[in-house]
Amino acid sequence: MTTNVTPPAWAETVLRAVLKPTDFATVSGDLLEEYRETVYPARGRQNADRWYVVQIFGFAMRSVALWGALFGFAEVARTALDWFVPTHDFSVRSAVSTYVGIGLLLTTGFWSAWRSGSVASGPVSATLTVIIGEIISSIGAAAMLVMFHDPRTMSAMEASGGLSEAFTLPIILVLPALLLGTLGGALGAAAHAKVRIDPV
Amino acid sequence: MADTLGSFEQAVLLAILRLGENAYGRAVLNEVQTRLERDVAAGAVHATLERLERKGLLASRLGSGTPIRAGKPRRFYRIRPGGLRALNEARETVESLWRGLEWPLKGHA
Repeated sequence: MTTNVTPPAWAETVLRAVLKPTDFATVSGDLLEEYRETVYPARGRQNADRWYVVQIFGFAMRSVALWGALFGFAEVARTALDWFVPTHDFSVRSAVSTYVGIGLLLTTGFWSAWRSGSVASGPVSATLTVIIGEIISSIGAAAMLVMFHDPRTMSAMEASGGLSEAFTLPIILVLPALLLGTLGGALGAAAHAKVRIDPV
Repeated sequence: MADTLGSFEQAVLLAILRLGENAYGRAVLNEVQTRLERDVAAGAVHATLERLERKGLLASRLGSGTPIRAGKPRRFYRIRPGGLRALNEARETVESLWRGLEWPLKGHA
């Protein structure tokens, strides 16, 4: 029995940020037990740490899967609109998609912090939401490109920012996600402290 | 009619049934991995346990921690009558689908 080995502390912090407090204690206990009793003795330190991080990543992604999907589908919808219903004036579309994005990231931060009681869960969840959203968005853009690459669509695509915009947006969105997630997280943690309802 | 169970939900419920009094998160994870003969994410088992409990097919209680868990509590699960009904129906459905066919299947695919 190896009670002196511990998995990466930062990973446990992420787990605390994405789970309800009641779940955190039991889940982190289960993971620690498996890490110490099975994975570490069988695979060694480095592989055991990797196993632990992969498990935490799975919990984190599951906790924001719905928000990530909404974010991704909103982006796919915007891309489809720009490619198939071209316009010269993108101001209204840009405003709508920006506000939808801000709303989703704020809500994600608020919801996860309300659930966990931790402000840190806001930026963590919002960043993961963007990652999931961008994976969906990139797959969606690639699929549309495979199906529709006639000259008219290609020209509409170029006019709306080109392919690079559809695939580079993820990097640009991480910083706003951190900021909006933190803001939503602060509000959510305050709500958690004030109204003790156990959200789903 | 009870809830229709997915195959992973069945694996989790059957693991709890086999484990009896010792059905807590990590034990369920290991039992499911053994039966399915593949690695399973702890998050997948946790999400399934949570969903089954929300559906009223499972009940849970907190138990004490141990030194290897740094004193963190265990959550023990037991199947409720609705869970047993759902498992029975799932089994009947599979048997009904296979009735009249010889197993293992032979012939050209």
